[in-house]
Amino acid sequence: MERNPLRRQLQIMRKSLFDQGYLDEQFVQLEELQDDSNPNFVEEVVTLYYRDSARLILNIEQALERKPYNFHKLDAYMHQFKGSSSSIGAKKVKAESTLFREYCKSGNGEGCMRCFQQLKKEYATLRKKLEAYFQVARQAGPMETACRPK
Amino acid sequence: MTLSRESHTSTSNSILPQSANLLTENGKFKKSMASALPSGDQGAAEANSGNGGQMQKKPFTFNEIVLRNRLTALVVDGDNFCRLLEQGILQAYGLETQSVNNGDAAVELIASGAKFDLILIDMLLPILDGVEATRRIRAMGMRCKMLGVTACSGERERQAFLAAGVDMFVEKPLGPEILIPVLRELDGQV
Repeated sequence: MERNPLRRQLQIMRKSLFDQGYLDEQFVQLEELQDDSNPNFVEEVVTLYYRDSARLILNIEQALERKPYNFHKLDAYMHQFKGSSSSIGAKKVKAESTLFREYCKSGNGEGCMRCFQQLKKEYATLRKKLEAYFQVARQAGPMETACRPK
Repeated sequence: MTLSRESHTSTSNSILPQSANLLTENGKFKKSMASALPSGDQGAAEANSGNGGQMQKKPFTFNEIVLRNRLTALVVDGDNFCRLLEQGILQAYGLETQSVNNGDAAVELIASGAKFDLILIDMLLPILDGVEATRRIRAMGMRCKMLGVTACSGERERQAFLAAGVDMFVEKPLGPEILIPVLRELDGQV
């Protein structure tokens, strides 16, 4: 058990992110690429994800304002969004992305709208949780939960 | 379907914003291959969703392969983030990489004589989609290992991509359990 209180808090936060289904194993893969020479690697990747995916969220929002829906375009945007979300291990976001694409394929506009609202909630919630997590991580210093062994 | 008409080819990978700081000054992904072997008690970390990220023995981790030969890879992905991350992961494993953001650029690159040991290609791409790009790359006689790495997950998509010529259909994200055996094979370690 981690004795350092900050690291203990970090472990608890990390466990919660996995237990509550916000993150999946892909996040661990990113952690394994982190080392002493780049101790903030995961945070930087996640930051880049949120920066890059904001454009896709906006594109989808704008596409959903135009009727009739262009399901092909919506699906293409969500394909990209799903890919990048899965690359950081954003499990719930990925699940909503998959559902959205199914609604696109079946031409269900209402389903797309509902699903997108839920997706944005999950996306925002994960962002807040990860921001809090990385803030503690920076205070705690390099952690060894799933980093490459020395 | 055109999402972007920008044709981007990157070898040094300098498309990141300055603040992202994922790259060294040389444009290499900021992750060096370790020469140290894993220690006994922490060698293979595993997190299962819903399991609190607890340690379970996992078949493959990042540390499990050190390449003996020079291997090259091309990443074809229309999404900046995914392209960068995949390229960076391959670099971290020790491969020399290039990337393009659309199928047409990939075909042109191969047609110009560029050769790769491994191609990662997404299905939905701007200008020329991954299925058609794969078909054309194979038609040019390129026999390298091609992995269709895509957010698509349907059986119909899988069959279409395999029929076009990818060796494996991989739903994103590409994990070490898929990548390491492929790299071992390419490196002659099998």
